[in-house]
Amino acid sequence: MHNCVPRVFWAAALAAALALDAGAAKQTVKIAYIGPLTGGVSANGIGGRNSADLAVRLRNADPKARYRYELVSLDDECKPNIAVQAATKAASDNSVVAGVTHYCSVAAIAAVDTYHKFGFPAVVWGAVLPDITYRNNYAEVHRVNGTMINQNDVAAKFMTGLKYKRWVIIHDTTDYGKGHDKYFTEYLTKYGGQVLGRFGVTADQQDFTAELTKAKELKPEVIYFGGLTPIGVRIRSQMERLGIDAVFEGTSGIKSDSYIDGLGKLAEGSLSFIEGAPWEKLPGGLYFIGKYAQQKYDQGPEAYGPFAFTAAGLIMDVIEQVGPNRRKVIEELRKTRDRDSIVGKISFDDHGQNVVPLITKYVVQDGKWVVWEDSEYASGRRKLK
Amino acid sequence: MSALPGIASIAAMALYAAFFLHAESQAQVLGLVALAVVGVPVLARVGWIARTATSLEAHPLAARSASVAALAATIALFHDQHFVMLMLASVALYSVACLGLTLQFGYAGVVNFAGAAFLGVGGYTSAVLGPHVPHALVLLIGGLLAALVGSILILPILRTRGHYAALITVAFGILFRSFVEVNDALGGPQGLQVKGMNLFGWELNSPLRDLSFYANYVFVGLALAAAAFVLVRRLERSWVGLNLDAVRLDETAAAVFGIDVARWKILAFTCGNFFTGIAGAAYAMMTGFVAPNSFTFGDSLILVSIVLLGGLGSAWGVPLAAGIVLIVPEKLQALQEYRFLLYAMLVIVILLARPQGLIARPAREYFPK
Amino acid sequence: MDVGLFGQYVANGLMLGVIYAMVAVGFTLFFGVLDVIKFSHGDVLTAGAFAGLATYGGLQALGFASPAVQLLIMLLVAVAAMAFLGALIAKYLVLPLRTAPPLNTLLLTLMLGAALRECVRLFYPQGANPKPFPRLLPQDAVALGSFMLRLDNALLLLGGLAAIAAVHFVITRTKLGLAIRAVAQDAETARIMGIDFERVVLLTFALGSGLAALAGIMNGLYYSEINFSIGLLLGVIGFSAAVVGGLGNIYGAILGGFLFAGLQTAGAVLLPALLPQLPSAYKDVFAFAAVIAFMAWRPTGLIAEKTAERV
Repeated sequence: MHNCVPRVFWAAALAAALALDAGAAKQTVKIAYIGPLTGGVSANGIGGRNSADLAVRLRNADPKARYRYELVSLDDECKPNIAVQAATKAASDNSVVAGVTHYCSVAAIAAVDTYHKFGFPAVVWGAVLPDITYRNNYAEVHRVNGTMINQNDVAAKFMTGLKYKRWVIIHDTTDYGKGHDKYFTEYLTKYGGQVLGRFGVTADQQDFTAELTKAKELKPEVIYFGGLTPIGVRIRSQMERLGIDAVFEGTSGIKSDSYIDGLGKLAEGSLSFIEGAPWEKLPGGLYFIGKYAQQKYDQGPEAYGPFAFTAAGLIMDVIEQVGPNRRKVIEELRKTRDRDSIVGKISFDDHGQNVVPLITKYVVQDGKWVVWEDSEYASGRRKLK
Repeated sequence: MSALPGIASIAAMALYAAFFLHAESQAQVLGLVALAVVGVPVLARVGWIARTATSLEAHPLAARSASVAALAATIALFHDQHFVMLMLASVALYSVACLGLTLQFGYAGVVNFAGAAFLGVGGYTSAVLGPHVPHALVLLIGGLLAALVGSILILPILRTRGHYAALITVAFGILFRSFVEVNDALGGPQGLQVKGMNLFGWELNSPLRDLSFYANYVFVGLALAAAAFVLVRRLERSWVGLNLDAVRLDETAAAVFGIDVARWKILAFTCGNFFTGIAGAAYAMMTGFVAPNSFTFGDSLILVSIVLLGGLGSAWGVPLAAGIVLIVPEKLQALQEYRFLLYAMLVIVILLARPQGLIARPAREYFPK
Repeated sequence: MDVGLFGQYVANGLMLGVIYAMVAVGFTLFFGVLDVIKFSHGDVLTAGAFAGLATYGGLQALGFASPAVQLLIMLLVAVAAMAFLGALIAKYLVLPLRTAPPLNTLLLTLMLGAALRECVRLFYPQGANPKPFPRLLPQDAVALGSFMLRLDNALLLLGGLAAIAAVHFVITRTKLGLAIRAVAQDAETARIMGIDFERVVLLTFALGSGLAALAGIMNGLYYSEINFSIGLLLGVIGFSAAVVGGLGNIYGAILGGFLFAGLQTAGAVLLPALLPQLPSAYKDVFAFAAVIAFMAWRPTGLIAEKTAERV
């Protein structure tokens, strides 16, 4: 202990704090949450933070829990260098046992090396780039949500099955959008669809009329959009302004309440594909929504909130089982097979990737994301376009 | 004037920095920020800061020794804490980059709002050459490439002035980021992995005894920063600095007296970018990753704010401001989504309270006492 | 390309150009009187759009249903609030820094912009998410071939042009405009002539910021959506347009705005046509490269500032 001077100072403060905490009988275990809390996609980051926080609160309210948990939330700003800083901060603090980490792929891919270096168990809750789990074989890194590969396989097969033939692809130039463009094109070609044109747009672009007018000229049946909610809203609403009459097919990035809030009636008939079971219909999902509403957070959970909730729950389950020891937590996490969660069964493969067999298709109907099979579109009472 | 007030102030600052780096909870961080916001104006009011400045000015050797001692003490105190070491190394490397900008902004008056782009050139150099070329050479090439890329801008910058020149660099910064994002040869939006630094067989990613491995980068960063600092100070005091000052203050007058304005502007711009490129190369090896998202216009503005907060042209101000700009937002993590708001307001308060920067560059003495 | 589509591109470009020009005029006004760049301008626009949206919410709650009345009140509230905000910024943040290096004003206003943006994101209900903007203009549309002529677009275009014309009128034909031009030309002399310098500066900032609020609401009406970061890019583009046009010159700002919009539209359309193998995402690279080349060609913008080189 070379740095005893400040330690003494804070020890006094800590003692005071502990004295106030009457229920300090249980040992406190810290877990980290890392996601974008500021900047353009902060709605998702805050939704994920709230969901992880909810998991921790529910666990602390459970008298059977062996430990008291504390969530340490860090902001990665969706930037690789800040993500490495946040990862170092969490991983180098020995009192933090594991982390629920990253919504942005670029942040996650930059930070995995740091987790590996420090032997810090991390469960990714939102980033979809395949490389995060597959580029290296790091025992520390796991992911509860699926990759964009499965998502696009299902999306392309489903849409060609509906007899659509002509697509225009618009994607943002982040790794999220570019990856979706790549995999969707790959599968679309396989299933016999045709890509008439593709447009890369930047994540902070506001005006898409030039690209959309060009797209209109190509007369597509479907506009595929690989990107997140904010641009999705802009593109869908500018399509209407230019009188483009095509189906709007999005990815997991637009499956959020704010997509519908941002568009109002225009959202009707938009499609989205997301990994995992349709949690809105499962008992666990309803429980999550109910409990989330009770906490009166000022932001909704957004599309990946349930995954953050699941990741946090999974980590705490494992800690309950093997104690707050990083090495044991990693070993135990790796063994996860067929574990029930609100997003369906979770099984990690040898890369720590959840092999989600299920992709759920959603369509907006009357201002709600409805599972395709339950919608009036599937039953033929309404038509997409 | 005794050296005591200066040394006491440096010691107090080091102590404050140690507490600040150690603070974890929201209350601690906010308390310390409030202490500084209230305390510094009070000290200025009673004349302590002025006394410190004269004392440091009068005893340069004591000032340097005290700074080195304070730094050594801080490193010793936190030697095994990775996060603190990472932040210190970042501050050192950003100081190198900002000393480069100081040459441009502060001395020659050439504005540069594309600092992050030149950091990026260095960073991508490390990513591409890192596996093949000795790393000391990579740092050098990173700097040279940044200078080379910067030379594209020389013609438009020489032809324009003030805000017009600013626009050119703003445009270049945005262009660079878009370019690396859409260009798949350099990893596209996903970026590239960078190997850890290896200097003449010294693997920086493996820790020395019980030190954090980031401490190695602190040493390298400090060595680079010290070299840059000494170089910039020497330039400032030499006839080169004199010429640069003349160019900044009045181009017409400088030209009348036979000073080749274009030549000095080119020199300052190129040297500055060289520094920034080296810093970028080293920083990329430390964080192990480069991606376009780290080199946005916003990141260039971080560099600019360091230079301005420190005081335009003030070499001493750079490390201090770099510390504030980089460490304060990290420490405000406790505030989560509110941290950036508070940080922005803090900078506004500092600028209003000290319009000339934290440590204003003293007026040049043409006739030393 | 058929005529209808060409018309569509022109209409898109014009609309963008009007919004850019309105922002650029603000930049150029501030530069004129104080020689400063106020980088929070784009975020004032955002704040104006959100002020309008909040007013709309209030009016809905009170039961005013007529779109025309709603729009009028929204405009009044937003423009007045932003004009006031602009004057406040000038008085307490910009004027006190007159003696500091001009770059400090730039940094301060940048930080102020960030603070404004963060305030909208954090304190407007659900501010981090995109918000639908009410459609208060008549939505009638005629399809002329592949060109969609929409009444609301036409109204917005006319409204924007009228606003710019009104500002132009104020600057060139009124006493206040005379004072603004006097201060812009030479603040010292203007003071000696009995012009209240501070008052003129505050009014100029109020004028520019009010215009930004108007642009914000137009932006919302045009895209039917606003979000907390619209000002970020509009700020950079407005600044670029003002500089490309020639700082301090209102015609330059207008020209610059339209030029920028034209460049963007042309970039997105022509680039894939000319170089089909190149991804369309390169359009930003080309747009900004064009700006750099342009500045090298015309170092003081389209319409140069009239400055006498002091000897």
